[in-house]
Amino acid sequence: MSFDGAETAHAQTAALTLAVDIGGTFTDVALADTATGQVWRAKTPSRPDDPSEAFLTGLRLALDAAGAAPGDLRQVLHGTTVATNMILEGKGARAALVTTRGFRHVLGIGRQDIPRAANLYNWIKPERPVPASRIVEVTERILPGGTVAKALDEDSVATAADALREMDVDSVAICLLHAFANPDHERRVAEILRATLPGIAITASSDVLPVVREYERTLASVLNAVVMPGVTHYVARIEEKLAAEGVPAPLLLMQSNGGVAGAGKIRSAPALTALSGPAAGVVGARSAAAACGVDDILTVDIGGTSADICLIAGGEIGLTQQGQVGDWPLPLPMVDMVTIGAGGGSIARVADGALTVGPESAGATPGPAAYGRGGSEATVTDAHVVLGHLPARLLGGDMALDVVAARRALEDGVAKPLGIAVEDAARGILAIADNKMVGALRVVSVERGFDPRDFTLLPFGGAGPLHGCALADLIGTRRVLIVPAPGILCADGLMAADLKSEFSRARPRAGTADMAEAEQLCLELEADAATWFDVEGVAEGDRQTNRVALLRYAGQGNELAVPWAQTAEALEAGFAAAHRALYGFELNAPIELVTLRVEARAAMQTPAPSALTPGAPPQPVDHVPVALPSGRENVPLFDRSTLGAGALIEGPAIVSQLDTTTLIAPGWSGTVQPSGALILTKADP
Amino acid sequence: MTHAADPDITTAPICDPITLEIIQGAIQAAQSEMEALIERTAISAFIREKKDFYTAIFDREGVMAVGSMVPIFGDITTPVFEHFPIETMQEGDLYWYNDCYGSYGAVSHSNDQVLLAPVFHKGHRVAFVMSWAHFADIGGMHPGSISPDATEIWQEGIIIPPTKLIEAGVVNDAALAIFHRNSRFPAQSEGDMSALMASVRLGVQRMAEATDRFGTAVLEDALAQLLDRTRRLVRRRLAETFDYGTHRFTDAIDSDGHGNGPFHLRFAIIREKGPDGTDRFIFDATETDDQAPGPVNLLMNRSIPGMALGLFYLGGEPGQVCNAGGPLALDEVRLREGSLVKPRWPAPLGMRGLTMMRVLATLNGLVNAAGGQAPAAQAAYVVALIRGSFTAKDGSATPFLLADGIGVGYGARAFADGMDAVYFVAQENYPIEFTELGYPVSFRTYGMVMDSGGPGAFRGGTGILREYEILADSAMLGIRIDGVENPPWGIKGGKSGAPGRIVINPGTPDEKVLPPLSDGTMLKQGDVVRIETGGGGGYGHPFDRPPAKVLEDVLAGLVSIEAAAREYGVAVTGRYVDEAETARLRATRPEVKPFHRKEYLDVL
Repeated sequence: MSFDGAETAHAQTAALTLAVDIGGTFTDVALADTATGQVWRAKTPSRPDDPSEAFLTGLRLALDAAGAAPGDLRQVLHGTTVATNMILEGKGARAALVTTRGFRHVLGIGRQDIPRAANLYNWIKPERPVPASRIVEVTERILPGGTVAKALDEDSVATAADALREMDVDSVAICLLHAFANPDHERRVAEILRATLPGIAITASSDVLPVVREYERTLASVLNAVVMPGVTHYVARIEEKLAAEGVPAPLLLMQSNGGVAGAGKIRSAPALTALSGPAAGVVGARSAAAACGVDDILTVDIGGTSADICLIAGGEIGLTQQGQVGDWPLPLPMVDMVTIGAGGGSIARVADGALTVGPESAGATPGPAAYGRGGSEATVTDAHVVLGHLPARLLGGDMALDVVAARRALEDGVAKPLGIAVEDAARGILAIADNKMVGALRVVSVERGFDPRDFTLLPFGGAGPLHGCALADLIGTRRVLIVPAPGILCADGLMAADLKSEFSRARPRAGTADMAEAEQLCLELEADAATWFDVEGVAEGDRQTNRVALLRYAGQGNELAVPWAQTAEALEAGFAAAHRALYGFELNAPIELVTLRVEARAAMQTPAPSALTPGAPPQPVDHVPVALPSGRENVPLFDRSTLGAGALIEGPAIVSQLDTTTLIAPGWSGTVQPSGALILTKADP
Repeated sequence: MTHAADPDITTAPICDPITLEIIQGAIQAAQSEMEALIERTAISAFIREKKDFYTAIFDREGVMAVGSMVPIFGDITTPVFEHFPIETMQEGDLYWYNDCYGSYGAVSHSNDQVLLAPVFHKGHRVAFVMSWAHFADIGGMHPGSISPDATEIWQEGIIIPPTKLIEAGVVNDAALAIFHRNSRFPAQSEGDMSALMASVRLGVQRMAEATDRFGTAVLEDALAQLLDRTRRLVRRRLAETFDYGTHRFTDAIDSDGHGNGPFHLRFAIIREKGPDGTDRFIFDATETDDQAPGPVNLLMNRSIPGMALGLFYLGGEPGQVCNAGGPLALDEVRLREGSLVKPRWPAPLGMRGLTMMRVLATLNGLVNAAGGQAPAAQAAYVVALIRGSFTAKDGSATPFLLADGIGVGYGARAFADGMDAVYFVAQENYPIEFTELGYPVSFRTYGMVMDSGGPGAFRGGTGILREYEILADSAMLGIRIDGVENPPWGIKGGKSGAPGRIVINPGTPDEKVLPPLSDGTMLKQGDVVRIETGGGGGYGHPFDRPPAKVLEDVLAGLVSIEAAAREYGVAVTGRYVDEAETARLRATRPEVKPFHRKEYLDVL
């Protein structure tokens, strides 16, 4: 356990914000005095058996460091991977599904496709989060537009309840046909089940995802049901502990959309936190970039097994409703990011003369060969070790890297089978991993109509800053931003997040925009937002709402989000322009207004940015041998904590800090910013 | 026309394995980006909801290097080169066709439109890109253009021979206008064509960028290596499966919808030593039955058998994910003109999908008969065409076409059950809510068919049950179901899958079972159409299936309690297995033979 921060400074006021990010290995805590911008940090091992224990330990450490009392906390922010892990590892609650009679196998059929990227001879349909043996039907039927064709037969609900009792489930999802247009039957079923099956968590699809297409809505509801008992229990434990500790502040949780919401909202729709952790990182990245005056960034969060890639244009984090969590489409609002199976632990293998990297990962155990925990296969991290990018002794770290083991893994696994030198093998592994990330960077930029060269690359996560220069070279970006603490950016992100929620409604039938009807719908959505603001206790003056219209050409299956406009003509013009920008053409076809959305947000109290004072010219603490393309060279190694604002470092160089290592490639140079960030720029060719 | 020599060419560097992997990734990314654009912008439900579209990238000579993972493309580029010599092509050109006979089956029914464009870099031709999509209606005898009624190809819509749609950037608008004018749904046709053209434009741009990044010579060498890697691997695997000599397998489709059939597919793979001592692999389909009067003929491009075998052998190979090179693995493909797989012009082709699925199953059979481990047979995916008109609110009659592709059960494998309720690669269903919002039908049920999957240690996949009530004033129904007389076979003790069927107004005095391949059935408002699709064949002795899995199938409604006892020897009571009774049932283990189709057989 450790903490850092100015030990002499103590919190002067009661304006303290606590942010807790629980990762697989460590729990990171940041405590900020929002008035002075002072930040105290703490790190403690995570406790997978009871994450709330590490939460509390971290809280106490941070308060001690700040010399503050629990009563001084104004707000407590938390990013959680509880829901994510339950979905990815299939370890959620034993859940069941209630659906319309005749449609029991909708979940099993899915979209009846073999995925485009799969081989039809060996693909296996993934097992659903709820097997068909735990799906029961009730008698009812609602038609398109919400007309009731067959009233809900309550006897059939009672029979279903009996069956559910026998299945011994902890959670039940309800998804009835066309419930997005008329939720009455779902609500009544929920009411009856709550009465007859006390203690069982209930999810209605119309509460989680009121949109057309039964398979995707069923899946979202079922995933919500699967994570609900676990998340509810978890949130309750943290709230209890906070109360027992004497913390008066409300608990706010990070959602997949990059905003935080109160514990009450999360308890009713826990699937909203499926991408809580990665979203926090992206929000942190945006705020760290803003502190340097940078608004257009491409973020790459490189972890052990995967990398999350995201684009932020003009300071706006893009959202999508077509996201994916593991095998499953999860059409809930989430940060528009692309996740790929390439990280520090990705394994390199040679098969039939071809070198592949990932998606298989050595994970935390056995981990890369260099970690000396029994891993023997070559990984991306081992490639960095072989090339000297990662010094054998990490500054301030307890862990020494096993260079010999890394070399042996590359030699046996890659270099010999390909008949190449071990350094070339290492460079090859990195090139392939980088290329995968470049593919994803292109997806979020070029495919969305942005030129990556106009963006600053912001790599983070423990392994991110090692790849920054290489990725920037590949996508043609000339600027890389290394935030002050790339390995613990998520905790910072929590403090930078807004309170945020979206309220959307599809029109019963898509068609030409009817502005009177649209205005009415928007007013209703804004009323919903106002109710939510009330629940979250947001003052009138802090409330912001923003209208968005989703349009398409008649017949298309996908909509584009267009900013609100006063007239149908203006909305349509905005849509046509967006369509041309994105796809390169317009159609001479009617334009339909499909969905209206109101985005509600309230800025939170965020710490004022701290300013780094200028320091002496940087002095390397050591020189380490690095295998550069031009040959092996002794390269200066800097300790980042010794660098003052304005410090200039010419590449090649390595900058080491507790939570990450930065590689400044030849031709690149780094300047330390007053915000503490390090900006790397490429010299003109 | 000649091009200035590219300076890169003279140095002729070889693409190293690492760059090769990177190029493969970059090309696949370009290909999926082209697909994403089509999906997001196309107008017809057939393309953007069902997703009947594919893309591919070819080397500078037109050999496919990376394609969608489906064994249905033929040699796409040669037919264009015959009309427009490769050396006459210019930057900004775009070529178009749907001509099945004119392309030797590269496309195999006229609804599929192919757009092909050369990619140039610094004046030097470096690659070709293709986008392909099924257009919902291109004219022809009935809405949807394909129909079991067809007896000649002119009834299946307008035919576009290889045509230059864009010449150096100038679009031939007249050709497009003629094409759209021939569709019953011209707005869909226009929108879909715009999407397809934008997709090709994007692919051209991406491949030009890739050339810029890697250099012409490296890129060309990479594509050549990708092809060669696959070719070598497939040949190695072919040699492991097929000993020297002739290996045969025969399967059959039921009928052509015009009272003829069954039609047998008699395939052979011959392995021999060539004059130079190296192996020769020959695919021979010459003994296949004569072509059909009805539209079930499959004008099978010579690439298809190699492509299908390639995909089979590449399954599970890391780093071998390009659907290319398979066709090069076969030294010779022998087809007989006038046969079901090489019909003579102008035989109708519209319903060739069922034959294509049977071709894949027959290839599986060849591998299995030779001692390999391919899946048991799958059912042929089903198509229901419901066309008619409904009265709109303003009293006008609005025509509609619901071309509903319905999934089936796939064959069980040596390592897993067959896929339940699947149509094909990348082809999705019309969701219930989507369909009810857009078409005058209401669904009674949508589910899987109990006891349809062929019993086995690994169960065959289940078929689908889809029951519609017609809300339109009237409608005409066309239906395509195969494998009713000859259901998908099981293997190594696994049994055949259940056949599909179609019934109008089931359980009423008006109940009527329709011929499984038929058109012209008139429906009126309130009629109910019940479609059950077939299941896949099983793999291995059903008594070797763990009782817990049988129980799960029973509880899931996929296997009846009776079938659990009868087929699997597993007794289920309530939500549990009766272990004593199961032991008693399993004490007498039925004898099995290598294949099963309605009964156990040594040879199919």
